Amino acid sequence: MDIEILQTRSRMVTVLREFFLSRGYLETDTPALAPSLIPESCLEVFATDYVHPRERGKALYLIPSPEIWMKKVIAATGRSVFQLCKAWRNAESVSPIHNPEFTMLEYYGVGLSSEDNIGLTEELFEALADEKTPLKARPPFRVMSMREAFSEYAHADLDALTEPESMRAACRARGLLVAPNASWDDAFNVLFLSLVEPALPKDRPLVLDRYPAGIECLAADIPGTMYKERWELYVDGIEIANCFTEMANPEAVRRYFSSQSAKKRNALVPHRIDDSYASIFEHFPPCSGVAVGFERLMMVFLGKKTIADVLLFPFEAFSG
Amino acid sequence: MVRGGDIGIGTCLLINGTPHIVVEREFVNPGKGAAFARVRAKNLKNGNVIMQTIRTADFVEDAQVDLVDCQYQYGDGENFHFMNNESFEQFEIPVATHEDRAPYLKEGETYTIVMWEGEPIDIKIPYKMVFTVAESENYIRGDTVSGATKPVTTETGLVVRVPLFIKQGEKILVNTETNEYVERVNE
Repeated sequence: MDIEILQTRSRMVTVLREFFLSRGYLETDTPALAPSLIPESCLEVFATDYVHPRERGKALYLIPSPEIWMKKVIAATGRSVFQLCKAWRNAESVSPIHNPEFTMLEYYGVGLSSEDNIGLTEELFEALADEKTPLKARPPFRVMSMREAFSEYAHADLDALTEPESMRAACRARGLLVAPNASWDDAFNVLFLSLVEPALPKDRPLVLDRYPAGIECLAADIPGTMYKERWELYVDGIEIANCFTEMANPEAVRRYFSSQSAKKRNALVPHRIDDSYASIFEHFPPCSGVAVGFERLMMVFLGKKTIADVLLFPFEAFSG
Repeated sequence: MVRGGDIGIGTCLLINGTPHIVVEREFVNPGKGAAFARVRAKNLKNGNVIMQTIRTADFVEDAQVDLVDCQYQYGDGENFHFMNNESFEQFEIPVATHEDRAPYLKEGETYTIVMWEGEPIDIKIPYKMVFTVAESENYIRGDTVSGATKPVTTETGLVVRVPLFIKQGEKILVNTETNEYVERVNE
């Protein structure tokens, strides 16, 4: 048993808690078991049953992210918040960077944009680094837009690939298999995951900025463009963090959820939908949030190759 | 057809009419996207390796292949020579497209050959194989500082790290996926 892993984890948690508290962030503590969740078509969840001794029981779900509850606190208090907690995702393969149970660090800054959060995240990395941290996990971050990355590594002009058919044609022209009826975002991912992501530079952390609006999410649109105020942070080729300037228009949020609910019909684990979510945005301050996979962060700071190397009891160990 | 989620190492895909064997596979879940299998597949005609990303829920064309037991006879630098164990028919597989198989081919040993449209396109290597240590440097007894292993070369040219007690001429069991030593084989 590697006690050093526990000590490193404990040190990092202490540093980041101090980091956010000293900046006036409120630490939140939200439920792990929930009676309903927001619809996210790309996620499968774990379901369990609340068994009442006399009355009818109720389905409960382990949260895939604390986001919705943290946003309720922001709406109610107007405060910047952070939280470190367990989250669970079902039906993802157990891989070098996936464990069904993992730790999520989320921090939301009121009055901040996704661009402001690049600087804050660099400061957080600076605070967390110690003498063992490899250079490729240290700030400053390199910032590259998705459009630049497509131009550089896929030799494609993302601005010109606005239709599903033009995106599919771009895949075929590069010898990539793509379903004839693939949606825009599926074809985008074929190109991105085959040619762009594997080629991203790894010498220092990379912020891949301005995701296309064709990938639905709760990030604000950049007016007059096909992009959103969303970035993902890659360290050593591993996706570590995701950041949005939060979408604050309740109508746009409602549209997003009805689209996600429609796509969610094929879910392996269906769950009850929390439809109070959009109403939070009727009084929501401008804000930007970052979600970090904490074990992945530990991996890159320790120079470990697999998530199992930073967990005392990785999933393989108890899956039998 | 094969479902993206069912593709594994060794799956034979038909890409633009050419069979490709999957040599690496990982599942990827891009943020806010569907689940995909990202594979590296080797073109069995020219040996080129390409990357493909397939949605786990989508189906792609696979090559309908036959598996035939064949004996490896010899290599002449240009071709590997095999004989079909049932029909005794002899055939060749070019070294150029299957160079990575060379360190696992032992004369007289039977291998499963992948046939597509009557043509041999790949040589399957057993997961574990016994090799003889052909070359081994002598290490000073007690030199356990460097992790207590040393590199040896097998009769087929494969380099494997083994414990210090393994001597030249001894037989060892090797995991052919990782090229790791498993155990000494006493006969």
